[in-house]
Amino acid sequence: MSVKWIGAALTVAACGWFGYLAVNAYKRQESYLQQLSQILAYMAWELEYRLTPLPELCRKAAQQSKSPLGQFFVQLAQELDGQAAPEVAPCMSILLSKSGDIPQLTGKALELLGESLGQYDLSGQLKGLEAVEKYCKHELEKLSYHREERLRGYQVLGLCAGTALAILLI
Amino acid sequence: MNCAWDAFLSLLPQDMRHEVNKQGAKSLQELRLRLGQPVEMVLNGKSTWLSRKARPEDLSFVVNSASRYSPWSASTAAQGYITATGGHRVGICGVCVIQNGIMTGISKVTSLCIRVAKDFPGIGNGCDLSGSVLILGPPGSGKTTLLRDLIRRRADAAWGSVAVVDERGELFPVGADFYKECRTDVLTGCGKAHGIETALRTMGPTVIAVDEITAKTDCDALMHAAWCGVDLMATAHAASIQDLLQRPIYRPLAESGLFQTVLILNRDKSWRRERVRL
Repeated sequence: MSVKWIGAALTVAACGWFGYLAVNAYKRQESYLQQLSQILAYMAWELEYRLTPLPELCRKAAQQSKSPLGQFFVQLAQELDGQAAPEVAPCMSILLSKSGDIPQLTGKALELLGESLGQYDLSGQLKGLEAVEKYCKHELEKLSYHREERLRGYQVLGLCAGTALAILLI
Repeated sequence: MNCAWDAFLSLLPQDMRHEVNKQGAKSLQELRLRLGQPVEMVLNGKSTWLSRKARPEDLSFVVNSASRYSPWSASTAAQGYITATGGHRVGICGVCVIQNGIMTGISKVTSLCIRVAKDFPGIGNGCDLSGSVLILGPPGSGKTTLLRDLIRRRADAAWGSVAVVDERGELFPVGADFYKECRTDVLTGCGKAHGIETALRTMGPTVIAVDEITAKTDCDALMHAAWCGVDLMATAHAASIQDLLQRPIYRPLAESGLFQTVLILNRDKSWRRERVRL
């Protein structure tokens, strides 16, 4: 009898854990997009006033940000120093394929960033950064829409699914 | 192997470096990449061709390695050239982007000309360095190289300092091991007219040196500096003094009598001294 109840409790806990993971992934998406927005704002500022070359710019942005995404920019600087590809976009793609822990939306934004970098004129380059920043803000807005309800929903759904499964199994 | 040559090789795609290093380590003057055409190497004034044809990614690689993936940071990229680490100048041709009548970039690069920066200490030995010096010559005749050596000699000999307004970063480039006298102040990256004015006001030089004067504002700034009691060292594109006098931009400068010494360079790198006769 007790084994049955322990099994039911484990089923509920496992499903609840999936709900928790979904909430975590959602928050991670948000956090990475926010980090990227901050990095982009810093890059735009640094470019406007100092015209810093890209590898240095990436390192400075990483240093400034001190976030998990900052490490990605340090790696990008290393790829650029190593002349891994003729343009920035392929360097970015190589790096994205290597680092699998970047959330999907941030990965898409980084791909856009890679394509926008390498303009001949500063204003064109700043517009490119601005476009990626807009993309991040748009995605953040979408994520923030009914945010609390969604997060609660994932958790409740996990627990309810677990309970339902436990009842079925009992 | 010097670091300027290493810097030059690092501009090229990996699969091109070995061949260029093998054939051109000692005598390469220019490397030209034209989209879809064999790569041209100019060795001691003569062209040889690599069997390899230039691909779009090769051109992108050179532009990006010259600017460290940041054409925007090279303020001159939109004007059609980038000075790479080591002082090598990458000239860019392609489809220009014009906004409000100003060239803001190049949308498609179709040709590149990479000029190898070289240094020959002592080539200016024998030049009389008193007063102001103007070096004339056609492109590729060695004006910048001679000016660099004359700056060294002048900084070594002069009481006071030599201010170098190095707009293109070719005289004493970053990443090159070109020897520089300790009494030399280099202002890199700013326009010549503005740079001359800045150097004059802030550095208290006895000599101001500029490479390739091309605009009326440059000539006006030079004359203004000379009237303030500073000696000048400059280069210009011209085949002779007569050629110089025929150009409306240069004529006032030549007529002002500011330059006591005019050195005329030939394509074969030989030079002669002339006086301005009006």
